[in-house]
Amino acid sequence: MQIRDYILRRLMVLPVLIIGVSIIVFALTRVGGSPIGVYLQTGMTQEEVTELEERFHLDDPLPVQYVYWAGGVLTGELGWSGVAAAPVTDVFLPKLAATMELAISSALVAVVLGVALGTFAGARRNRLPDHLTRVFSISGAAMPLFWFAILLLIVFWVYLGWFPIGRSDPNIYARIDHPTNLYTIDSLLAGDFGAFGDALWHLVLPAATLGYGATAIIARMMRSSLVEELQEDYVDAARAKGLPERLVLRRHARRNALIPTVTVIGLSFGFLLQGSVVAEIIFRWPGLGRWMADSVLRGDQATIMAYVLFTSVLFLVVNLAVDVIYAYLDRRVVLGE
Amino acid sequence: MSLIDGIGPEAAPRARPAVASVKDLRVHFRSKVGVVHAVDGVSFDIGDGETLGLVGETGCGKSVTARSFLDLVPMPPGIKAGGAIEFRPHHTCPSCDGAGCETCDDSGRQAEPCDSCNGGGCEGCGHTGQRTIDLLEISEKDLQTIRGNRIAMIFQDPGKALNPALPIGEQVAEVFFQHRADDLLADAGASDGTEALGGALIQRKAGLKTSRIEDFLLSLPPLRGQRTKLMAAVQTRVAEALAETQIPNPRKVMDRYPHELSGGMRQRVMIAQAIACDPDLLIADEPTTALDVTVQARILELIRDLQQRHRTSVLYISHDLSLVKEVCDRVAVMYAGRIVESAATSSIFTDPHHPYTQGLLAAIPSANHERGRLVAIPGNVPELIDPPAACRFAGRCPYEAPACTAHDPLATTITANHEVACFIHHAPAGDEERPTWDRKVR
Amino acid sequence: MVDVPAGPAPARITDSAWRVRTRRGGELLMSLLKNPTTVAGLVFIVLLLGMAIFAPLIAEPNTPDAYQMPRDWGALAVPPGSPGHILGTTNVGGDVLYGVVWGARTSLRLSVIVVSLTVLIGVTVGSIAGFRGGKVDEILMRIVDVFLSIPELIFALAIAAVLGPSFRNIILALAVVFWVKYARIMRAQIIHVKENEYVDAARVIGDSPLRIYLKDILPNSITPVVVQATLDMGNIVLVGATLSFIGLSEAGIAEWGVLVSEGQSGISAGRWWSSTFPGMMVFLWALGFNLFGDGLRDVLDPKTESTR
Repeated sequence: MQIRDYILRRLMVLPVLIIGVSIIVFALTRVGGSPIGVYLQTGMTQEEVTELEERFHLDDPLPVQYVYWAGGVLTGELGWSGVAAAPVTDVFLPKLAATMELAISSALVAVVLGVALGTFAGARRNRLPDHLTRVFSISGAAMPLFWFAILLLIVFWVYLGWFPIGRSDPNIYARIDHPTNLYTIDSLLAGDFGAFGDALWHLVLPAATLGYGATAIIARMMRSSLVEELQEDYVDAARAKGLPERLVLRRHARRNALIPTVTVIGLSFGFLLQGSVVAEIIFRWPGLGRWMADSVLRGDQATIMAYVLFTSVLFLVVNLAVDVIYAYLDRRVVLGE
Repeated sequence: MSLIDGIGPEAAPRARPAVASVKDLRVHFRSKVGVVHAVDGVSFDIGDGETLGLVGETGCGKSVTARSFLDLVPMPPGIKAGGAIEFRPHHTCPSCDGAGCETCDDSGRQAEPCDSCNGGGCEGCGHTGQRTIDLLEISEKDLQTIRGNRIAMIFQDPGKALNPALPIGEQVAEVFFQHRADDLLADAGASDGTEALGGALIQRKAGLKTSRIEDFLLSLPPLRGQRTKLMAAVQTRVAEALAETQIPNPRKVMDRYPHELSGGMRQRVMIAQAIACDPDLLIADEPTTALDVTVQARILELIRDLQQRHRTSVLYISHDLSLVKEVCDRVAVMYAGRIVESAATSSIFTDPHHPYTQGLLAAIPSANHERGRLVAIPGNVPELIDPPAACRFAGRCPYEAPACTAHDPLATTITANHEVACFIHHAPAGDEERPTWDRKVR
Repeated sequence: MVDVPAGPAPARITDSAWRVRTRRGGELLMSLLKNPTTVAGLVFIVLLLGMAIFAPLIAEPNTPDAYQMPRDWGALAVPPGSPGHILGTTNVGGDVLYGVVWGARTSLRLSVIVVSLTVLIGVTVGSIAGFRGGKVDEILMRIVDVFLSIPELIFALAIAAVLGPSFRNIILALAVVFWVKYARIMRAQIIHVKENEYVDAARVIGDSPLRIYLKDILPNSITPVVVQATLDMGNIVLVGATLSFIGLSEAGIAEWGVLVSEGQSGISAGRWWSSTFPGMMVFLWALGFNLFGDGLRDVLDPKTESTR
């Protein structure tokens, strides 16, 4: 009952936040002056310019301009991408698929590794594995992704030549259809395991780059919440029942320690989105992040704004989902006490 | 060491050997300022079927003593500094199968014979002829077969001692899975292991040993039937255990989470879980402190009732003398890591000998006291960092004499089963200046 | 809990409070130095700050602008150990050592400016929200929520992109993005501290709200802000260098991110040095402040200490 109320309350705040974000994004498009410049061509007369302004509602007061702009965004009119030489909407989906494939595989690795590492360290508090994990985690928080990526590049691509960069081998790419644009899924759908291996092989370096930071965040949270849970009475009660330490950890402490860890999984998703910009530049991954970086350098406002708007909404939705899962898992939070 | 001298051969013989004997137990804690002697030479026996009350202020070491039985003191910072906790486990009486008969004195349990002398009596078992285990020495694995099975524990705050993320039923079921796997398999009719793979898997399931993959296999149709039977068997047992503690609608309560129950109900669940395997010794660590006063009485009554029906020995930890009076056969009073006085409940209350015990009794508010006036013992419990060889109550004691700060008082038997560690009752070695019952003016 | 004697003499209280604070400061330092990782962080910070402060002594400043990389067109992409270029040069003849040393100064400038700006804005906004409560609080916190819904780096990237690529705009963009955390921390602290009895006591003796704020509330709520500011000294350089790496600084300034980006094109040819050294500096800088901030949090907030 109360869980439903909580979800409803959170769902009601969501549109407010999205509108807030859209206002910021709109304001950004107007900070650098009127966006009319994009449409101007040399030799245009004053009348032509005025006509253009009228067509794009640029002569109206800002709030009215915002309404037109927001209406455009809602109907999928995101403007023209100079970098891709195509409407933003057309290029968006395939690039999104590339980024999502990278982000999701990194997230999977990070969650599994982070939880395992955090559990391992938390159960051995203040012993060597714990100290090593702490060093690993704090280094992860302080690690400039662009530098870590370059180190991986130097070692594994330049010197050892073990892993490729880019997203796939062109020949292999041409070999199969790409209905989802997630190459791993596409290759499996086509039943082509060679292509699947190629997709995975290309994922290794960028996913390791992104996964490191996220693993560090998750491991750290998991470790500290496990340490906290291990001090709870119910852990002693479980031991007093005669459960072996393995089960005390697995059935009792870890289960509860995972609950707060869920919240940082949402936060680390934001980290993955940001990190993808850098990882995609360095490993030449044709996703949203690299497109964004190129657009920033070219001053391609439409793309930048679409990207900011999209990532923020995605970030908000993921965090909402995480909070709902959290509330559901931790019955103490919503249902009283 | 001082207290041990008081027990030994001259202690009154008991009909049946004690279920547990704590001998000179010392548990210390490492802290920033030094080693805290939280429990410093504690000795007592818990007789078979007896309820022993361990009483003292917060921080006197009573909880640490209780937790030492099951090795639940965190180490570090805790240190096992010495002593022994001898425990004599029982098993179900073979002639009545737990129902209670002549041979087992209606308890349904029978002491296990000593491994080395087979009941004849030897050094290893303290001439009791019973299997004797030192709980401080045995391996983690052996301890796990005793925890929750032969010795169970009830915690102070049932709200914290139950896992918030698991339904009640699953938590109680763990005890059966852990200690009664064979019975469960027999109930489910799976004990013979008819199908090779399925039998092995279901046996692992009954022992809570299955991995996630094995659980998945068990949820598949060919094995699901056996698994359902096993779960039904466990649920029947859980429901019985809950019903034993007078929980209404046990089948419904099993699906609830701890936060959905009242404090009293949660403590009933804890008790059900504790007595599920019919333990020889039940340790109750302030089981009513966290509960409402109205609920306290009912929980107390429940513990007393269960203790009488199952003839379980109980170690009852409390800071509240008036509660102890209700439930305990014998009382040991603890002060600053030592036992200062122990006697039958009636003699403690009618004839207290240690000044501390007297102070505690005087501090119980009663109808006789002047309204609005509460009596307190002056001073504070001493810090237990490297304590000197002296009486630990010296400094707060109204009868303090020079001997009290120079020597460590021994536990002395003054009447049958009544021991006191105070110089009023025995002279310190080589010093004849004993304190007397003359109250000093403070 | 504690018995307060009636009618305390104000002068004595200030005196003892001061003494208490200095004594606490000493204890704080002692417990900070007990943790080896905190000490390691402190060592990194001291070394890097020393490098920033004494940059002109280590590498002769370039003229006319010391923050501009000097170019040695006679030694393009020479490896480390070459005469005159201990850490080698970039593809366009920039001395890596010069960039590493003066980059520390650039980073110090960046982090000090951004942290002071964001702390100032955040503490002000958070204080107003927490102190006034009601509608003001509601509106300010919704704004904070909106700011927090955009991932940091992407937000800063967008702002810097709109303003145009320059180091000054990176500072501006980071300031716009980073103040919100302080506002949120400060508001929570103020609401918490406001409940304390000594605040009521001050109100009863008739202290003005501003005096209450400055004397009773601010000093008692600032610790988490200090911890966050320490961590942000590192984080801001991290994000700032990332923005520079992506290309939002002027090319050719002595900044670690710019240098990494400059070296990137040489990597496939095996010229690892011009990216590796400056990147490592960013890492050490962020690591130092993270380790130290972490230790600071442990000491200042005993609640979290138990979970370490």
